[in-house]
Amino acid sequence: MDIQYVRLEEKLPPREYKSSLESTWCPGCGDFGVVTALTRAFSDEKLDPTALSLVSGIGCSSRLPLWMNAFGLHSCHGRAVPAAVGARLAKPEVPVIVTAGDGDLFSIGMEHFPHAARRNFDMVVISMDNRMYALTKNQVSPTSRTGYKGSLTPYGNLDNPFNVINFAIASGATFVAQTYAGNPKHMTEIIEAAIEHKGFAFVNILSPCPTYNKLDTFKFYKGRLVDINKELGHDPSDKQKAMELAEHDYDADYNPDAKVPIGIFYKTEEIPTFEEKVEALKEKYKPENPETVWDDILSNYKV
Amino acid sequence: MASFDLTVKYAGEGGEGVISSGDFTMKAAAKMGYEVVTFKSFPAEIKGGYALSQVRMSDEKILSQGDGFDILVAFNGEAYEVNKPLLREGTVLIWDGPEGGDFEPEFEELEKKGVIMYAVPMSQLAKKEVGAYITKNVIAMAATFELIGMPIELLKEEIVAKFSKKGQEVIDLNFKAIEVAQKYVKENIKKVDPYKVPGPLPKKDVIIVEGNEAIALGALAAGVKVYAAYPITPATTVGNYLAPHILKTGGYVYQAEDEISSMAIVIGASFSGVKAMTATSGPGISLMQELIGLASMTEIPAVIVDVQRGGPSTGMPTKHDQADLFAAALGGHGDDQRVVLAPTNVEENFYLTVEAFNLSERYQLPVLLLTDASLSLRAEAIPTPDINKIKENLIERPIVRKGEVSPEELENLFRYKITDTGISPFLAPGESPKPYTATGLEHGENSYPRTTPKERTEMMDKRFRKIKNIEDENPHLVEWDLGDLQEGEKADITIITWGLTASIAKEAIQRLRNKGIKVAALYPKLIYPLPAKAVEKAASMSDIVLVPEANYMGHLAKFIRMFSSVPAEKIVQYNIYRGEPFIPKEIEEKVEEILGKKVQA
Repeated sequence: MDIQYVRLEEKLPPREYKSSLESTWCPGCGDFGVVTALTRAFSDEKLDPTALSLVSGIGCSSRLPLWMNAFGLHSCHGRAVPAAVGARLAKPEVPVIVTAGDGDLFSIGMEHFPHAARRNFDMVVISMDNRMYALTKNQVSPTSRTGYKGSLTPYGNLDNPFNVINFAIASGATFVAQTYAGNPKHMTEIIEAAIEHKGFAFVNILSPCPTYNKLDTFKFYKGRLVDINKELGHDPSDKQKAMELAEHDYDADYNPDAKVPIGIFYKTEEIPTFEEKVEALKEKYKPENPETVWDDILSNYKV
Repeated sequence: MASFDLTVKYAGEGGEGVISSGDFTMKAAAKMGYEVVTFKSFPAEIKGGYALSQVRMSDEKILSQGDGFDILVAFNGEAYEVNKPLLREGTVLIWDGPEGGDFEPEFEELEKKGVIMYAVPMSQLAKKEVGAYITKNVIAMAATFELIGMPIELLKEEIVAKFSKKGQEVIDLNFKAIEVAQKYVKENIKKVDPYKVPGPLPKKDVIIVEGNEAIALGALAAGVKVYAAYPITPATTVGNYLAPHILKTGGYVYQAEDEISSMAIVIGASFSGVKAMTATSGPGISLMQELIGLASMTEIPAVIVDVQRGGPSTGMPTKHDQADLFAAALGGHGDDQRVVLAPTNVEENFYLTVEAFNLSERYQLPVLLLTDASLSLRAEAIPTPDINKIKENLIERPIVRKGEVSPEELENLFRYKITDTGISPFLAPGESPKPYTATGLEHGENSYPRTTPKERTEMMDKRFRKIKNIEDENPHLVEWDLGDLQEGEKADITIITWGLTASIAKEAIQRLRNKGIKVAALYPKLIYPLPAKAVEKAASMSDIVLVPEANYMGHLAKFIRMFSSVPAEKIVQYNIYRGEPFIPKEIEEKVEEILGKKVQA
């Protein structure tokens, strides 16, 4: 069952994927870079804005679909992934991109992520990871560093940060990558690879919050990033190595010289997507004669 | 009046075959052309605990499960103890005796009462004569068939249908049990009771379905493409019944990780342009409230079935209750638009599911179908639906498709266009020429977030305008029952009720009318927004408005106070909350009590 996305014949310029709405993000927000990378990737991938759905939850980053020229579903807090699942079940020919935040995906929405991942829905889930909650004015998120001072944790975060890369791999995501909002070229490449990937693609974008987060800043990331594919020659089919590399950036809390890995950690296309399996079932049980479907169904209930 | 009306009740322990005994008997009766209604109840555990399956059969339309039963087939001592108080003069008790069972009835006491007792050693015959204890229920059934004169061939047909996959050996074993039972009854029992099923009636074009089956079929007929749900009693079987058929119609049943995701999936699918539905029970409705609000704000059609059970909290998962009306209509935050429909019988479970889709498409909002545990399990033989006619009358969403609009029109095409009806064009990915973002934030016509007082007010007015005239636009969703009352004639009492209670009340009302009491009755199927005009008109026909409901607080009664101009002092609540539906006699007696008191005063 090969499901093809609707695509344009000719490329649209990236600006055509932006709406006329002014964004409400703070100046210097890393998420602006994500918009730029997305519009470039959509253009390169020749996606049709009228056959493209961007699904989000609630939070600063989840406003993204509003700034875009594509179908958008700005849903409830934490519910972007299941809303996207609904969209995938409805129309497998329409690509679906989830654009959400680290809190939305991995705190309130945590229950949904692993289930969509293990079922291998063909969608791209982008986490715009600023390692805290911004829209509610500075609280810790599941990816916040230990010791991070948020408005509810003035004494410092007691928790260990959650390793979303390893979690995504363990959940069964078939494409797991990390990129950085300060590097639009790398972001665009990764998002394109994620769109082209058949299956559940998770992209964590390190996206600094200039207003509240004084630890995970553009300055902090500068000089620390290491491209695991190009610089370290990491082969994304090596799952074990991918999990080891994913542990690396957490050393940064303890080791001032630690590097932050970006690139494709893991990728496999050997697993069929959920949509392919559903379409195969529909094909298998397709009635021989559509005219008599109802007679057949009702015959089960006749006396 | 029906010339034949017989109720057989099988009672015993869950897992002993009590439920299938009722099902087989019901099917045999339906095959003979009789009307049937079943009533089942069992505990929330997989095995064990008291279970009952009751079959009422008649040559006329059956409205309720009845006041009681004519024949009790008691599988064990508990079944006997529970039902002993209900045994009356002329009732037949078929019990597991004289030997081999776990109890012995109080012969003298029952004889004095006039109860007719037939001993059928079900356990012993199954063990010793058939050699398989598991056939106990088949012996009980076959003995009952023999006693009431139902063709044993019909029982054999059901056994073949049910066990053909398990092989000839299993069928032979069950046939042996039938023979043993027949032989026992012929040789040992002298029939003294009057209960006898007359010969078969002319064959009717009917299907036998349970409440939840009817919902599943209704959803299919309406064209559901995505069904997402999380297992919860007593709603789970809606999906179970849908799953094998939906692939044939190009849809899919998805078991979601919870109720919240189920509702989000419904919204995501419907946003994408296809019909989507979920089914749940009270606890699931609580979890879905935020997303039901999103569907309302984003004007995305969605059908949510709530098969009510006893609450709050986990409550009584397998027991009857009508206490989710407040949650269904008013649950959630903010002022949202939604529609609540309540079917009163199995046939309406089917047609109102179709209606739920039609209303959700027409008004672009969530529609809740409020049914209940007893109705979910109640089986009825209903006239075979005309699917072509249903399909012709389906209301389709106003999706604006590519190529349908000129470039100038495209400029002014807005998803949330403010219109006189409040209903706006629908845009769907892959189909429409102009994208938009559906957002739960307050927004302007073009869907961009807006919070100015003017725009907020306009948009609230637009959304509420959609359902402002819903009563006038859907008069078929209110059922009037005025009996012989003439225009302008005063009734002794008005009864307004909903859900399964309405079908039970109908039987009580028939009996009251036979006694000369004038009853005006109204059964709203659209219960929110409350059809206030109809309610007010019905209430104006008498001095008393009785609202029987199977809940503590009186949800519909309170709605009548809130949303209509019916004087509060006229409204009399009658509430039961024991986990079982009303029986007709209770409503009949309540009316007599009220009218009696009124005369005295």
